[in-house]
Amino acid sequence: MLPVVVVHGGAGHIPKERTEESTIGVKEAARTGYAILQRGGSAVDAVVEAVALMETNPRFNAGRGSVLNIKGEVEMDALVMDGRTLDSGAVSAVRRIANPVQLARLVMEKTKHLCLTAEGASKFARSMGVPEVPEESLITDYAKMRWKKNLEPDANPVECQMGKMGTVGAVAVDMDGNIACATSTGGMINKMEGRVGDTPCVGCGGYADNKIGAVSPTGHGEAIMKVTLSRLVLFHMEQGKTPEEASDLALAYMKERVDGLGGVVVVDHNGTWAARFSSLQMSWAAAQQGKLHFGLFHGDHFTEPVEEHT
Amino acid sequence: MKTVIVVHGGAWSIPDALAESSVAGVKAAARAGDAVLRTGRSAIDAVETAVRCLEDDPTFDAGHGSVLNISGEVELDSIIMDGETLAAGAVASVRNIANPVSLARAVMEKTDHVMLTDRGASMFAEHIGTPVAHDLVTELERKEWEHSKSYPDGVKKFFNTQWGHDTVGAVALDSSGNVACATSTGGIRNKMVGRVGDSPIIGSGGYADNRSGAVSCTGHGESILKVTLARLILFHVEQGKSAVGAAEASLQYMSQRVKGCGGAVLLSSTGDWTASFTTPRMAWASVKEDILHYGLNPKEHFTEMLK
Repeated sequence: MLPVVVVHGGAGHIPKERTEESTIGVKEAARTGYAILQRGGSAVDAVVEAVALMETNPRFNAGRGSVLNIKGEVEMDALVMDGRTLDSGAVSAVRRIANPVQLARLVMEKTKHLCLTAEGASKFARSMGVPEVPEESLITDYAKMRWKKNLEPDANPVECQMGKMGTVGAVAVDMDGNIACATSTGGMINKMEGRVGDTPCVGCGGYADNKIGAVSPTGHGEAIMKVTLSRLVLFHMEQGKTPEEASDLALAYMKERVDGLGGVVVVDHNGTWAARFSSLQMSWAAAQQGKLHFGLFHGDHFTEPVEEHT
Repeated sequence: MKTVIVVHGGAWSIPDALAESSVAGVKAAARAGDAVLRTGRSAIDAVETAVRCLEDDPTFDAGHGSVLNISGEVELDSIIMDGETLAAGAVASVRNIANPVSLARAVMEKTDHVMLTDRGASMFAEHIGTPVAHDLVTELERKEWEHSKSYPDGVKKFFNTQWGHDTVGAVALDSSGNVACATSTGGIRNKMVGRVGDSPIIGSGGYADNRSGAVSCTGHGESILKVTLARLILFHVEQGKSAVGAAEASLQYMSQRVKGCGGAVLLSSTGDWTASFTTPRMAWASVKEDILHYGLNPKEHFTEMLK
C-alpha cells in the first residue's frame, strides 16, 4: 500500500470554466509527490513539493493566484507537519513569498518555533535567503476581478461564497512508513488584513502522526478551527474508524455544530486513504500502487495510470 | 446550577521571590472571575475578567510584565472561546495593548474571523477604539532581558531556571451550564519576532465545548502545539476520564512523545476540575461552592473560605 500521496485543490463551488484546470492541477501535484516517494524521498519532501506546485499554479488559492484581502493585498498562510516527530512549521499572514509552504518547512527545520507571522515571517525569510517576490507577481486578473466584485455594495451574498473555501493540501506516507501533511492558502476573499484562518494552526489546518495518519483540510476556515477538524478526524481514527468513516463523522459534526462545510484528504499509517467533502465540490487526486485516482464532484472516482502516455 | 472558575498564572520554575505574588495574583483573579459568575453573568465574561486581572498584574507574563522578544519588544498572543457556540477569537503578535484577551473577545464578537495577527490585529484594535498602552515593559523585565541575551538557548533554560515567566489563563462554568476559556501570554523570552506559540491557537492554547468542558494550557508552547494539548485533554474527558485523569494522561503523553513540560487547568461541563502540571511549579486558584482552592508546588492544595 505504500507509498501514497493524496492532494486536494480546495472545496467549494469551482466555476465550470475552471474545473478542468483544477483537476489537471491536482493530478500534476499528486504525480509530482508520488515521483518523489518512489525515488525514496520522505513524506515531508513529497507533501511540500506537491503543495508548492499548486502554490505556483495560478488556478489555486495559494501562493500565486491567492484571493485578495480587503485592501487588495495577498496574505498567505501555510503549514507542514512531520508525523514522525510531530514537528511542524507554519507561517501566517505572510506576504511576497512565492512558496509559503517552503518557508513553513524552514520554520520547522531552522527555528525552535512552530509558527512565525506577518513581518516576523518576512524577516525570517530574508535571513534564510528566500527571495521576496513583487506582490504583483502573485496577483492574477481573476483574483483582482473577484476582489472588486465583492467590494461592490450590491454584491450578491450567495455569489460571494463562490470559491470562498479555497486551500490546497497534501498528505503522504513514504516507503519507510513516515507520514506528513502540508496545507497552504491565500485565505478568504476580502478578508480583514491580518486575518489568520485554520491553515497555519496545528490540529486545524493539518495534523500528522506516524501512529495514526495525516489530514489536510479545506473549506470554511473559521468552522474548521472551531471543531479542530484535522485533530478530530485523527481522534476518530485512533478510536478505530477508517479514514473514510472518520472523515464523514468529523465533517457531519462540523456541519451540525457550527454549520460549516468543507473537505479533507486523509491517509492512515497503512496507506488507506480518503478524499471526502460536504461542500458541492472538492478537487482531489491520489497516487498509489502505480494508479492515479481523482475526482471533483460527489461520487467521482476516476483512475488512470500514474505514468502518463501523452 | 453551581458555578466554578479555575485560573492559572503559568507553569515554570517560579522563583521564591515571585512565589507569594504569584499566588496572591491567581487568588485575586479567581475571586474576580467568581464575582462575575455570582451575579449570573456568563462564563465568557468571567474568564475575560479573570485573565484581565492577570494581564494587569506585572507578576505575570501577559500584558503588563510580558517577556520581550529578540528585538526587545512585547508581542502578545491571546485566545478566548465560548463553549456553547464554539465561537472563538484570538490575536497573535499584537503590540501596544494592555489587555489582549479583550481584543480577542472583540475579534470573536465583532468580526467574521477567529484570528487576527500583527499589524492587522493592531489596526482592528485602533478601529474599535482600544486604548494604546505604552507602559507594558517593566523595569525588572528589561533587566532580565538584557541579562538573558547571554543565554544561547532560551527555551531550554526557560522552564527550568528562574528566567522568565509564562502564560496566564482561566476556565469557567456559569449558572446556565456554559463553559468558556481564555489564555494570554507574552511568549518565550528572546523569541523570534513574529513567533506565535500555542496560546492563540484553538485546540492548543485553549478549548471550550459545553459537551465536554474547558481547558487553558501553559508551558512550552511548541510542545503544546505538537500534541494540541487542550483538545487532547478534552478528548480524554469525552472518553470518560475524570478531570485529573484526562489532564495527567495528556501531560504525560506530551512529556513522553515530545519531551515537553507544562500545565493546564481543566473544568469539565459537570464541574469536575483540576490544575495539573509537570513543571516545578504552577500558580493556580479556583473557586467552587464558596471555597477558594489554590496551590503552587506539586501536590499542594490549600483551601480557605471565600470572604
